[in-house]
Amino acid sequence: MTANQRWSHGALMVFRRNFLAWVKYYKSSILLNFGEPLTNLLALGFGLGAYVATMAGVPFVDFIGPGLLAVTAMNAVTFDMTFEAYDRLNENGIYQAMITAPLTVPQIVAGEYLWEAFRSLLYGSVFLFVLLLLGLVHSWWALLVPLPLVVTGIMFSGPALLVAARARNHEQLFYYFTLVITPMFMFSGVFFPIARLPLLVRDIIILTPLFHVVNVVRALVLGHLYGGLLWDVAWIIGYVALFSWLPIRTLKRRLTG
Amino acid sequence: MAQVIEAEHLVKRYGDFEAVHGIDFSVSEGACFGLLGPNGAGKSTTIRMICCLAEVSSGRLTVLGHEAHPGNLTIKRQLGVVSQEDYLDPSLTVRENVELHGRFYGMGYREAKSRAQELLVFLQLEEKGSEQVRSLSGGMRRRAVIARALMGRPRLLILDEPTTGLDPQARILVWRKIRELKQEGVTILLTTHYMDEAQRLADDLVVIDHGTILERGTPGDLINRVVGTECLEIAECDPGYGQSLVDSIQLLQVVSDWQGDSLMLFSSDMDPVIARLQEEKLLPTQYYRRRASLEDVFLRLTGRDLRE
Ligand SMILES: Nc1ncnc2c1ncn2[C@@H]1O[C@H](COP(=O)(O)OP(=O)(O)OP(=O)(O)O)[C@@H](O)[C@H]1O
Ligand SMILES: [Mg+2]
Repeated sequence: MTANQRWSHGALMVFRRNFLAWVKYYKSSILLNFGEPLTNLLALGFGLGAYVATMAGVPFVDFIGPGLLAVTAMNAVTFDMTFEAYDRLNENGIYQAMITAPLTVPQIVAGEYLWEAFRSLLYGSVFLFVLLLLGLVHSWWALLVPLPLVVTGIMFSGPALLVAARARNHEQLFYYFTLVITPMFMFSGVFFPIARLPLLVRDIIILTPLFHVVNVVRALVLGHLYGGLLWDVAWIIGYVALFSWLPIRTLKRRLTG
Repeated sequence: MAQVIEAEHLVKRYGDFEAVHGIDFSVSEGACFGLLGPNGAGKSTTIRMICCLAEVSSGRLTVLGHEAHPGNLTIKRQLGVVSQEDYLDPSLTVRENVELHGRFYGMGYREAKSRAQELLVFLQLEEKGSEQVRSLSGGMRRRAVIARALMGRPRLLILDEPTTGLDPQARILVWRKIRELKQEGVTILLTTHYMDEAQRLADDLVVIDHGTILERGTPGDLINRVVGTECLEIAECDPGYGQSLVDSIQLLQVVSDWQGDSLMLFSSDMDPVIARLQEEKLLPTQYYRRRASLEDVFLRLTGRDLRE
């Protein structure tokens, strides 16, 4: 018996499953994940940008480009870890088949995170390339953008997978978008700096994970690096540590009830 | 011989509801053990505990010498499972489904590939190998699930209604594979609603209902004990007339049972029964004399009411 019983092998096979499924529809998947942020960028960046001109000292379109990059990564991960994961658990028995074969819930979750890190990296990087083509990348520091993409891919996976594991139907998944994702998208510094918002609102925004990702990505793309970024990095790492274990218990209960 | 599965006072509760009610049974190495019972009897629930997919509420359950509990990988690695639901991945092809399952068991790429090929050929799915699972017929899906379960070269094979939805040809194919595996020393736990299948394959079986064991034994033994070796079947029998038949042979060793509107008279010694009925001029012009089957035992034990 040459069976590979290393823990990481199991997690990698979960990744492999997602990859095999994804290569069959990647074209439409890429289109789906770019349609919206690209529309936002073009319409708001160049359309609204014609009137707003500058934001926090940079041209409006240059300001929102990196923000939308972060949003692209967040959405790519969140859609997959809500709707797709919900189906894997409730419609297709994919997790059930995995757990019947000798995989464990932590291995499944780790495999999913790895996959989302890949998605975040892929979709974020393609968006970065689009920014480059549009002349919106201003610094060699942008080469480091893949790093925060990988980490934020993992960061946004945990809460979304928890929602998927707890949801009783598809409708409940929409709540997550309406109540969490969309407000974050609108307020976390993607379109305007938060400096002029009331203090309380600012405090709340600082608690949102997207805010810190936007700061880091924007700094790298524009080449405006400053010491405060270390705080953003610390927040992101903290959130990864805090969120990653979130879905494990619920998934265990759902799969071995 | 060593016991591969041992259940003692095994109980499974869902809230206040007790799905498995304190059952005892054991499965010896190399045997094919049948777990029979009507819908909702508690078969799949018992199987979920054996597969380490559900917590044992109370009692003891050892599988392959280890205590069964969710997450016991030592047990899981030695199991092959055909669950009642297919749980095939609709986004993948048949071949990918089967191969990937082998990889979940820790197989390398090449090994999984060649083993999957072997099993697809055996289950006559090779032509369908590169089709998406969602385009398969029900019976083909079931065969794919069986192929998948065999990927890990199990020591204990768990089959929860493996042949539901299969055509007769495919069923014979699966029976052959099961016998082959038995010869290789694989222990098999089988549930099925096809009594002829259980009769053919099971060395030993239990009939459960409402989470309790009603009877146990070999198929032949159960037939002898519960009904008798032969059956006189009188179709579309008038209830009053049937009753007079039963009354007239009261003194003989006969078990009578209604299956729908057919009257069944069971006995291990049928000639005197027929002679007696002839004497009384009660023998109907149309009747069917046959060997009693496990199906008769099942219906006798679990009653004729439909479940749930
Ligand atoms: N997760 C669950 N929560 C609550 N009740 C359950 C659960 N799973 C099964 N049951 C109940 O336990 C009982 C036994 O179910 P089980 O699936 O074991 O039956 P079965 O013998 O496999 O029946 P079938 O032949 O229909 O497959 C049923 O009454 C069922 O409703
Ligand atoms: Mg069942």
